[in-house]
Amino acid sequence: MATAPYDGPILEIDKLSISFFTRMREIPAVMDFSVTVQPGEAVGLVGESGCGKSTVALGIMQDMGRNGRITGGTVKFKGRDMATLSPEELRAIRGHEIAMIYQEPMASLNPAMRIGAQLMEVPMLHEGISAADAHARALQVVTDVKLPDPERILRAYPHQLSGGQQQRIVIAMALMSKPSLLILDEPTTALDVTVEAAIVELVKDLGRKYGTSMLFISHNLGLVLETCDRICVMYSGEAVERGEVATVFDEMRHPYTQALFRSIPVPGADKTSRPLKTIPGNFPLPHERPQGCNFGPRCDYFEAGRCDAADVTMQPVDADGQHVTRCLRHAEIDWNAPLVASVARERTNVGPVVLQVDDLRKYYEVAGNTLFGGAKRVVKANETISFAARESETLAIVGESGCGKSTLAKVLMGLETASGGTIRLDGIEIQSTPIADRTTQTVADVQMVFQNPFDTLNPSMTVGRQIIRALEVFGVGTDDAARRDRMLTLLDLVKLPRQFAERMPRQLSGGQKQRVGIARAFAGGARIVVADEPVSALDVSVQAAVTDLLMDIQRREKTTLLFISHDLSIVRYLSDRVMVMYLGHVVEIGTTDQVFSPPYHPYTEALLSAVPIADTRVEKTHIVLEGDIPSAMNPPPGCPFQTRCRWKAQVPGNLCETEVPAQRDLAPGHQIKCHLTDDILRRMEPVIRIAAE
Amino acid sequence: MEPLSTLEIIGRCLWQLAPVWVALAVTFALSIRFQRRLGLYGKLFDNPVGMIGFALVMFWVYAAVFAGGFGWLVTHDTLSQFSGMKNVAPGTPLARAPEGAYPYFLLGGDNLARDVWSRMLVGAWEVIKIAPFATLFAFMVGITLGLPAGYYGGRLDLVLSFLANLILAFPVILLFYLLVTPEIVETGIPTYMAAVLFLFPIIFAVVLINSRFHTQPAKRNLYVALALIIGGWLYLGIAWNADPLGIIIFPAGLLVVFVSVVFVNAPSVFRIVRGLTMDIKTRDYVAAAQTRGEGPWYVMLWEILPNARGPLIVDFCLRIGYTTILLGTLGFFGLGLSPESPDWGSTINEGRKLLSSYLHPALAPAFALLSLVLGLNLLADGLREESLKD
Repeated sequence: MATAPYDGPILEIDKLSISFFTRMREIPAVMDFSVTVQPGEAVGLVGESGCGKSTVALGIMQDMGRNGRITGGTVKFKGRDMATLSPEELRAIRGHEIAMIYQEPMASLNPAMRIGAQLMEVPMLHEGISAADAHARALQVVTDVKLPDPERILRAYPHQLSGGQQQRIVIAMALMSKPSLLILDEPTTALDVTVEAAIVELVKDLGRKYGTSMLFISHNLGLVLETCDRICVMYSGEAVERGEVATVFDEMRHPYTQALFRSIPVPGADKTSRPLKTIPGNFPLPHERPQGCNFGPRCDYFEAGRCDAADVTMQPVDADGQHVTRCLRHAEIDWNAPLVASVARERTNVGPVVLQVDDLRKYYEVAGNTLFGGAKRVVKANETISFAARESETLAIVGESGCGKSTLAKVLMGLETASGGTIRLDGIEIQSTPIADRTTQTVADVQMVFQNPFDTLNPSMTVGRQIIRALEVFGVGTDDAARRDRMLTLLDLVKLPRQFAERMPRQLSGGQKQRVGIARAFAGGARIVVADEPVSALDVSVQAAVTDLLMDIQRREKTTLLFISHDLSIVRYLSDRVMVMYLGHVVEIGTTDQVFSPPYHPYTEALLSAVPIADTRVEKTHIVLEGDIPSAMNPPPGCPFQTRCRWKAQVPGNLCETEVPAQRDLAPGHQIKCHLTDDILRRMEPVIRIAAE
Repeated sequence: MEPLSTLEIIGRCLWQLAPVWVALAVTFALSIRFQRRLGLYGKLFDNPVGMIGFALVMFWVYAAVFAGGFGWLVTHDTLSQFSGMKNVAPGTPLARAPEGAYPYFLLGGDNLARDVWSRMLVGAWEVIKIAPFATLFAFMVGITLGLPAGYYGGRLDLVLSFLANLILAFPVILLFYLLVTPEIVETGIPTYMAAVLFLFPIIFAVVLINSRFHTQPAKRNLYVALALIIGGWLYLGIAWNADPLGIIIFPAGLLVVFVSVVFVNAPSVFRIVRGLTMDIKTRDYVAAAQTRGEGPWYVMLWEILPNARGPLIVDFCLRIGYTTILLGTLGFFGLGLSPESPDWGSTINEGRKLLSSYLHPALAPAFALLSLVLGLNLLADGLREESLKD
C-alpha cells in the first residue's frame, strides 16, 4: 500500500446510533455504542439475538440497506470518518481493508464460480495485480488456512467442499487482500464443535501471523473467552459492559453480564444441587424499551425512581477507564455475594427399564438412478447400537452431524424401520412397526421435541389448535370442550399464559414456540421424549429456562428423556447417562461422571476439548482434530474414528485400520469401543481441569 | 339529433358506470378502514401497484355483475339490431329510436348494427363467469396430483411429472381445435375428460374432510355426506348436464371451454404445487405431524398446503389472467362459445374483419381484455410483494 503507515487505533466507534425506519415507526437498533479496536487486537461483541450486534457490523461497513440510517455518532476507520467517504472510497475499503466473514459459508460463496476464480478476483479487483500473481497468492492463502491439496481446492466448486472447508475458503477470501480489520459475524455457528475448534484455532493463528485486528461477533461466551483480548457485552441495542476479557469474566460489573453467566452451564452447575438461574421476563422489543436502564425490569438490583429515571451513561469502573459499565449502582452491589441457592431439588430415583435397544442397525440403500436402478450403495447410518433407558432418566446422545443420531430418533419414532436388531418398549418389540401400524398408545408414548423453534410449529394454525390436534389424534378427551380444557392445562404446564391459545406462531418468540412444542409432545402423556437439540437454536438466557422446564416436567411425569445434543456443557448439566456416537457407532456410553472423566474414548476426549467453556478457571488440554468427519456413504475401514484419532500410533500393527473394535466394559455401566489397551487408557489425563481458587 | 362530441361520450360513459364507481368507493373505503384486521388482503392496500391492480379487477367484476347479472349499465340489448346503425362511429344518435330506448350508441355500432358498449359490458360477464371457476378447477386438479407427487416422490412423481410435461409440450391451439371438432365431440371425448377432471374437486373435498375429522367419526360422516351430496349434484349438472333438480344447465360448448382451460392449466399448477411440497415437507412441523401418527393426506392438506398458499394465491391471480386471454383466443377462433356470444374474443374477431375501415368495434373489447389482464397481473405483483414482507 502506498499510504503512509498509520499507527493509531484501527477502528474507533464513538456514540454510534443506528435506526431502521419502517412504515409504522422508527426502530432504534443501536444506541450510543462506542468501541475502539487497536492494531492486532481481537475484540468480542457478545449479546443475544436482536441486541444489535450485527447492525454494528453493518454500520461499520456503512451498509444498512434502504431503511437503515446512522442517526448519531461516528465510525472512524484508521482515523478517517467513514460517513464522509464517497461511494468509490467505501468500495475500496470494503472487502479490501475491512473484510467480513458470515455465519453461512455457502451463502458467501458464488456457487457458479470455481474457488480459485473467486479468490483471485479479490486482489485483481482491489489492487489490479496480474492473474498469475493473484493465483500465486490464492495458493499461498489456501495453504495458510490448512486445506489439503490446495491446487485441487482451487479448481473445485463450492458445493464440492464440506461446510468446514467452505468456511476456511471464506476466511481465505477475507485474507486475500491482507485486510487491517476482519469482522467475523458468528463464523462457526453453523459448524460442528470439532470443526469449530479447528476454525477458531486457525483464526487465532492467522490473527497472529498477519497482525489483523478482529471484531468477533458471537453469542457464545466460551468462544469469545478463547479468541478475544477485550469484550463488549450488548443488551437491547446498547453496550452494557466493556473491558478486558478476564476482567469482565471474573469481575463483571453489570447485572446483565452477571445474569448471563449464571444462566449458562459451567462445570460445577448441576440440575439438582446448583441449578441454572434464568433471567426473568423477556427481551424488550425495540419499540417497547423501558424508560431509563433497558435491563431494569429484569434486574435483581432494580431500584425504582433511580434506575428508571433517565438514560444511563457508561460509567468507568477502574481508574484508567478500561473497564466501563452502564449501571448506576455498580459500586453499591455486592458482586461477590454467593448465588442464593434456589430450592435444591431432590434427585429423582431412576425407575425400571422402559426402552431397551439391542444391536440396532439401520442401513439405507441409495440407488444410483431412480428410473433405471443403477448400482446400489449401502449407507450404514446406525451400526450395532445397544443401550437401555429407564424411567425418569435423562440419557444424552452426543455426536456431530452425520453420526446417526437423527436416524436413531427416526427409527425410535417409527418413521423408519430397523434393518436389524431390536427395540423393546416395555418388553414389546417395535423396531419393525412403522408408525402407521403402531397403536395410538405407543405413538403417544414416544414423542419428540424438535430443534428449530421457527420450524416446529405450523405457521398457519393457532397454537391452541395445534395442541388440540395432538389431543384428538391421541384420543385424549371425549369432546371438544374437554380437549380445550386439557390444552389450557398443558399451556399452564409449560408456563405460558392461556391467552396464547389464540395466537399464531409468528407472534411468539423462539423460546415460547419451543415451549409449545414441548406441550404438544406431552399432549398424550408421553413416557419417552426424544429431544433433538431442543435448545441449541435459542439464546443462552432462554436456553436455561427451557432446559429447566424440561427437567421440571420430567420430574413430575417420570419421563424418560433422550436428549440429543452436541453441546457437552448442557449435557453434563442435565443428563444422568451419556452415549457418544460417531459415524453410526456408539463409541462410548456410561454415566455422566464416567464419560466426563478419564479414561475416555479418543473421540470423547477431542469433543470435550473442543467445547468452549465460559469460565476463566477452566484449563483445557488442547486437542484439534485434523480433517473433517468422513462421509457415511464412504466410511473408513476398521475403526470409524481412525482417520482423525491421535492415539492410533499407540495401537500395535494396523489393527485400527482393519478391525472394528468390540464394545468392552471398563467399569460397571461404562462401555467403550476402542483398541487401546487398559494400560494406556488408565494413563489418560483429564481434558478439563478447574484451577484451584 | 347531433352526434356526441368526444367529451360528451366520455361523460356519458362515466355516468352510465355510476353504480360501479359507487361499489368501488364502498369497497375501498371499507377495506382501508379495517385494513389491519384483514391479513394479506389488508396489506394489499399498502401497496400502490397492488391497489391499482385490485381497482382494475374489481372494476370489471362489478361491471360484469351489474351488466350481466342485473342488466344495469347496458344501454341496449346485446343482440338487437338497429336499422341504419351498421358500423356507426361512437356517439351516433339512434335513428328512429323506439320509445324509451337510450338515444345513442355510446361506442358506436358493429357490423350487425348492434351496440358495442353494451356488448363489451356483457362480454365482461361471460369472462368473469368462466375464468375464475375454470382456474379454480385447474387448481383443484393440480393440487390433488401435485401434493402426492411432491410428498412421496419416487416413481409416482416420475409418472405424474412425465404426464404433465407431455400435456405442456402439446400445442395448445391444436388441442383446442381437436377438442371442439364436431367429430371428436360426437365420440364423447370432451365429456369423458370432464367426467374425470371434475371428479378431482370432489375427491379433494372428501379427502380434506376425512383427514381432518377421522378422529371424530360422527362429525366426519356428516361432513363427508354433505360434501358428497353437494359435490355429486354439481358433478352431475356440470359434467353430464344431467342435474336431477334441473337447476344447473351447462351447455356443451361451455363444457368444452371449461375442459380445455382446466386441461391446459392443471399441469403448470401441478408443477408449482409439487415444487412447494418438496420444499415444505422437510420442515419440522411436518415431521411433528408424522411422529404423532398423522396420515399422509392430513400432512399434505393441512400441514403443507396452507403454508404453500402465498405463492399459490399469486399464481391464481396470474392464471385467471392467462385464462382470460385463453378465453379470448378461443372466442377469436370461434371455438366453443356460440357465434353471437358477446364475449371479448368473439367480438374482437368480428371487428377484425373490417379493421381497416372501422376500428372501433374491435377496439373496445380489446381494451377491456387488456385492462382486466393488466389488473390481474398488477394485483398478483402487489400480493407477491406484500406476502414477502412481514
